[in-house]
Amino acid sequence: MFRALFLFDVTFWLYLAAVVLYFSYLATSRTVLQPAMAGHPAETTVKEGSWAEMLGLLATWVTFFGLIVNGMALGARAYERMQISGTFAPWSNQFEAMAYVSFATIAGYLLLELKYGIKAIGAFVVSIGFIAMGAASLLPYRYQTAEPLVPALNSYWIYIHVSITLTSYAAFAMAGGLGVMYLLKERAERRGMAATSVYATFPSLEKIDELGYKAVMVGFPLLAFGTILGAMWANYAWGGYWSWDPKETWALIVWLIYGAYIHARMNRGWEGHRAAIYQIFGLLMVVFCFWGVNFLLSGLHAYA
Amino acid sequence: MDATTKETEESKPFTFKEFGDALLEFFSSLKLAIFLMITMAILATVGTIIQQGERPEVYIKEYGETAYWWFVKLGFIDIYHTWYFSSILVLLCINSLTCFQQRFPAIWRSIRQDKVNVTVPFIQSLKRSATVGLAAERGHVTEDMALAFAARGYRVLVNKGDAETTIYATKGIMGRVAAHVAHLSVTLIVIGGILGNVVGFRDFGVCIEGETYHIPQGNFDLHVDKFWIDYYDNGAVKSYNSTLTVIENGESKLTKTITVNDPLVYKGIWFYQSSYGDSWDRVEKARVVVREKATDKVVGEAILEWKKEAVFKDLGLKLQLTDFVADFGFDAKDRRVYSKTVEHENPAIKLAITEREQTLTSPWVFYNYPDLFDIQGSKYKFELTGYLAKKFTGLQITKDPGVLLVWIGSTLLVVGVTLSAAIYHRRVWAKVVPGPQGQGVTVYVGGTAYKGQIDFDREFNRFTERLNARGSQAV
Ligand code: HEM
Repeated sequence: MFRALFLFDVTFWLYLAAVVLYFSYLATSRTVLQPAMAGHPAETTVKEGSWAEMLGLLATWVTFFGLIVNGMALGARAYERMQISGTFAPWSNQFEAMAYVSFATIAGYLLLELKYGIKAIGAFVVSIGFIAMGAASLLPYRYQTAEPLVPALNSYWIYIHVSITLTSYAAFAMAGGLGVMYLLKERAERRGMAATSVYATFPSLEKIDELGYKAVMVGFPLLAFGTILGAMWANYAWGGYWSWDPKETWALIVWLIYGAYIHARMNRGWEGHRAAIYQIFGLLMVVFCFWGVNFLLSGLHAYA
Repeated sequence: MDATTKETEESKPFTFKEFGDALLEFFSSLKLAIFLMITMAILATVGTIIQQGERPEVYIKEYGETAYWWFVKLGFIDIYHTWYFSSILVLLCINSLTCFQQRFPAIWRSIRQDKVNVTVPFIQSLKRSATVGLAAERGHVTEDMALAFAARGYRVLVNKGDAETTIYATKGIMGRVAAHVAHLSVTLIVIGGILGNVVGFRDFGVCIEGETYHIPQGNFDLHVDKFWIDYYDNGAVKSYNSTLTVIENGESKLTKTITVNDPLVYKGIWFYQSSYGDSWDRVEKARVVVREKATDKVVGEAILEWKKEAVFKDLGLKLQLTDFVADFGFDAKDRRVYSKTVEHENPAIKLAITEREQTLTSPWVFYNYPDLFDIQGSKYKFELTGYLAKKFTGLQITKDPGVLLVWIGSTLLVVGVTLSAAIYHRRVWAKVVPGPQGQGVTVYVGGTAYKGQIDFDREFNRFTERLNARGSQAV
């Protein structure tokens, strides 16, 4: 039986490799692109060279393998938890939660690639998954081990409330990554180099924008559900469904921020450039909700 | 004179209505919704940065006195219960209700009937549109397209005119209905919250094993049968539990062991295992050392149980532990001893002493100050060298009749938001008209997606490809 921490380490290196591969994919796509451009100005004729094709394929498989190991690490951690305390949720402390977010982000990305086949997104979204995993492994050792749960957490609610909330974070992370991608592509277009540089492999601005919106529309209901499950749990554990504890308040703040985004898109035409910036801003708020609250603000969730 | 009065008479109802419309427009606007959401997010952020409901000293120490004065003025120390925060919640409800009232009827109508008759320029003005010439018969093309739409889950309406046929296909309107379900649910949740605040209550009970407490709100009694703590192997607390019995009219009605995530509910009143601690007015037992005053030698030692007499036969002494305070305080006016805080800062026990069949004054014996009082008429002095505080179980006692509404609202919210995110409203129109010189037909097809444009684009491309393929077959 592998120790979970070892598997988390392996995940980290695999994701690092995947990020490098995705960026190499972008870089090699460019060199092959230039001759192709002369005859075919249309964006759809972008052809990857054989190098790029190989790197792209490899990137996807390494990412997939990383995901499997990430899943195994979570499974091993679940087993370790089962040994000590009888609950297994492998997202019971900050480290595990971050490893789970990175799992969900990468899984979401692979689904996206499967559906739309746009590998360029990998450079951004896999990077975010990698950063989450990397930040987790930077946590002090005592945060990484599986300590028994304090009484309030020792409940079946933790399985569903935490995992759903964390999955919504992953969706918002995806939206943030797409926002960065949008801004880069937009800048390249302004400089007239979108067609000839690495940006050529990026999907069209409209597509990036739309995918970002879709990611938010995955995260928004999940966060609503996760927060409400948290309220139900609180109603059992703390004797009140809402106590304005910093963590739950921040979940509400994040949710309101994305609520404003959804509605602003609808009538104020907050698409494209502004939406991209907003998605990045939203991700920063999510990061604060996820980390900042635990480390900077005190409250009932401080143990999470 | 006449003319002017007439004019005001006429314009009055008009401006009134105009004013009403403008008001309705304002309250149902998306702008207001966005403003409210962002404002609420900002205010909530303030509430998480500045600690809520602390004692004044805490703020003054951290922010200074001027800042504290402003905090109080602005309500920042209890921001979630200020008039302005509540107003935002109420406005959000009004906003989403008027939004529903203004926009939902149109959506509802379009479920029943929809715009079937459209013009060719309308189709061409849509976000996606295509024009295909086919060497085929109008009826066949129409049927084929209708089937293609239906196969993708569209509801298809066909309007066959003399010379041209109009096809209208739509799906996913339920996604927009769901968005409005979400809007209504917000109000339900807020009403539930208000109801809980107005009609409900929330108390905290510090309860001791073996005691019975009256619960006035439910007019019944609660007996604490037992309280205990479970530990993990490494000594960390795993859970704490109380066995409670509800007694009504002298009859036991219900017994349940509650633990942190598992409350007891009786008559709509919830009892939660909320905390535990060392009680400040009671001990299980205390160790007392007896010294002879003359020699200062230890002549006896006993572990005294709470309110039980201990007998030292050879000393001719009987001791009883009758009281305890964790942080000794003396109220000079009432001549009463009490515990100043709940902390065990200055613990003391009260001893009832009977020496050679003679009852002496009952002294307080201090843990921290062994030699404080001399007991007159006694050969001995007493020292408190240790004690085991009685654990209390902290029960949160709550009644919240609004909670059901909150759960109904929350369920609708999650269902509404999820469905609206998953179901995309799409509409496609096509017009099949006779081709140039009466040869075959020309198909104008166009569509819009309320959102999810790229998925719609793919679907639309599939439709037009199919049409084109048909055309090449026929040719
Ligand atoms: C805070 C609570 C609210 C929530 C959770 C919420 C949620 C939603 C969701 C999920 C959608 C669908 C979004 C989409 O299809 O992209 C939506 C649409 C919409 N919302 Fe809200 N909303 C809220 C408040 C409001 C308010 C206060 C207004 C007032 C103007 C409003 C106006 C609208 C409109 C006009 C739509 C489009 C509906 C349609 O399909 O015709 N929303 N809302």
